[in-house]
Amino acid sequence: MTAQSEKAAAAVGGRAAVPDWVRRAATLNELWTFVILVALVLFFTIAAPGKFFTTYDITQIAVNAAIYLVLGVGMTFVIITAGIDLSIGSVLVLAAVAAGEYNIHHGGATSGWGTVAFCVVIALAVGTAWGALQGAVVATGKVPPLIVTLGGLGAALGIAELATGGQDPAGAASTHLQNSLGFGKVLGIPWMVILAAVVTAVFGAVLGGTRFGEHTLAIGSNPTAVRRAGIPVGRQLVKVYGLMGLLAGLGAVMWLASYGTTSIAGHSTDNLKVITAVVLGGTSLFGGRGSVLGTVIGVFIPAVLTTGLIVIGVQQYWQDVAVGVVLVVAVYIDQLRRKTRERA
Amino acid sequence: MRSIRSRRRLLVAVGTVLALGAGASACGSSNDSGGSGSSGSAKGKKVRLITGVKSDPFYITMTCAAQEEAKAKGMDFTADGSAQWDVSVQRPLLDSVAASRPDGLLISPVDTSALTPSLKQIQSSGTKVALVDTTVTDTSIGITRISSDNEKGGRVAADALAKLMKEKGSVIVISVKPGVSTTDARIKGFTEEMGKYPGIKVLPTLYDNDLPATAASQIQSTLAAHPDLGGVFAGNTNTGQGIATGLKQAGRQGAVKVAAFDAEPDEVASLKSGTLQVLVAQDPAAIGRQAVDQLAGAFEGKSVTKSIGTDMVAITKDNMNDPSVSKYFYKSQC
Repeated sequence: MTAQSEKAAAAVGGRAAVPDWVRRAATLNELWTFVILVALVLFFTIAAPGKFFTTYDITQIAVNAAIYLVLGVGMTFVIITAGIDLSIGSVLVLAAVAAGEYNIHHGGATSGWGTVAFCVVIALAVGTAWGALQGAVVATGKVPPLIVTLGGLGAALGIAELATGGQDPAGAASTHLQNSLGFGKVLGIPWMVILAAVVTAVFGAVLGGTRFGEHTLAIGSNPTAVRRAGIPVGRQLVKVYGLMGLLAGLGAVMWLASYGTTSIAGHSTDNLKVITAVVLGGTSLFGGRGSVLGTVIGVFIPAVLTTGLIVIGVQQYWQDVAVGVVLVVAVYIDQLRRKTRERA
Repeated sequence: MRSIRSRRRLLVAVGTVLALGAGASACGSSNDSGGSGSSGSAKGKKVRLITGVKSDPFYITMTCAAQEEAKAKGMDFTADGSAQWDVSVQRPLLDSVAASRPDGLLISPVDTSALTPSLKQIQSSGTKVALVDTTVTDTSIGITRISSDNEKGGRVAADALAKLMKEKGSVIVISVKPGVSTTDARIKGFTEEMGKYPGIKVLPTLYDNDLPATAASQIQSTLAAHPDLGGVFAGNTNTGQGIATGLKQAGRQGAVKVAAFDAEPDEVASLKSGTLQVLVAQDPAAIGRQAVDQLAGAFEGKSVTKSIGTDMVAITKDNMNDPSVSKYFYKSQC
């Protein structure tokens, strides 16, 4: 679909004397948000020379964005099917609590690699199961995804609180996990960042180049047509929400690795953060259109903005204002551009 | 089956309490000849405690001390607390206690105004109310209010942190959210006290909305802008955790000193392991004990202190094994 519209745009633009590659670039969905990101980086680099665009700062922005990036990749798939998942923060907590409780009863902070591996499996399994369950309910078509996952948000958090009595248990993460994935580095690049990059690359390829990705996009565009073409829509939805759950489980592992605790109360706004990033990245809330690359840019815009504003010493309240304004402006520009293209 | 059995057990328990109460009050009145009605001896008086969060070690410590003190004074004392920090959870609890018409009530209200009507009602029916830890804005409620002197706590934190920083460098406060009376008072005391050290620069306060991930990114961004950062004052446990992770990611753990409020078991563990360098402990045991004393005084017709601020103490790795300091560690059970 993207290739088609690109071709059309290229054909229309043929009358102006603009180099072909510029025209093609301008039709890329991600270009404009990428321009905003570059502009922000340039601005802060000039405003705080020697402080902002440094190896240290780039690394820390990437580390802090890693978990949101992993969640954002899953959310991109969900939103492309014209769905939404509000439950991700709670699912992350539930997966972290399940893995953490196992760890506590099998050695606590000093547990060995075997326990660590099993904890990872538990977190991924709990996340996937919860996601797939929500997907199955969405697939019945009786309850909208907004409500299904709103219910899931409360239920998952409630179960996590029941299991722990509402307090973060001590010894939820092994020091092995913390010193490897949490704080370890390879050639100066933190494992957290490498893991997030691999997840992004793999699922970017899945969305762009496999039948699974094609079906996901097709469901978002026109579910009825897809169903008539003989593709099982329900099964695909279960898989997509299951994938979101799997990545929330992975997020739980990453959280335990870097924070060493389940932070039951610390994930209430993960969903808004991640949805903001996906929408900033040009994925349509109405489904059928979106890309993982866009989500990467969408995750980094707020991250760069908050870090940059702290570095140049702007009062905190302005940071929230700035992120809000950039969100609305970015989506506005994106819509304008789409309209122009459609008219052409 | 099960419900019937438990109800029977409850009835037996109620019966026992009533019998004990009657016996004790009979004792009290025979001892005290001049007592008229409710005033007289503290002995046998029915006192209830409702805390903010049942499972919080701060409140557990307070409850343990209050219970011990009440037992020593021969009071009929029981305690309960909300499952969460939520008005809609605490109010039913308060209403059920009110229905039992206790002589005295110790409460940590979770909201400054929403519980006022219920508290007014229970007070007008003759129960003496003592506000412990948190308060309500309506000053007519409560014969006494006992809480930590939070401004002083901020000062204690500032002095301990300044000492560890060798009185130079930048320092920042990362708190939960603006507009919370206790944390605002701590920040005020902290900032004022830090002003006494000419070598230390206080950066503008940041708020993380209780999200550790936000605190982690904030502390790392602050390090980018101020490489001379030497100390952080954390608003609560979640914030402290985020700061610790942020400093570890940046490879600056231990170089940047972290002070946090309270002395809960996991915080004491962090102090031991070197994640935190200063804990500013409140004295919940003193709050509980003094509240019971004040109520006893009121029952005996003595004068009551309207407002009491309890002390705070700074705990570092150096003094944490000293019994006069380690007695401030909060308990997770009596």
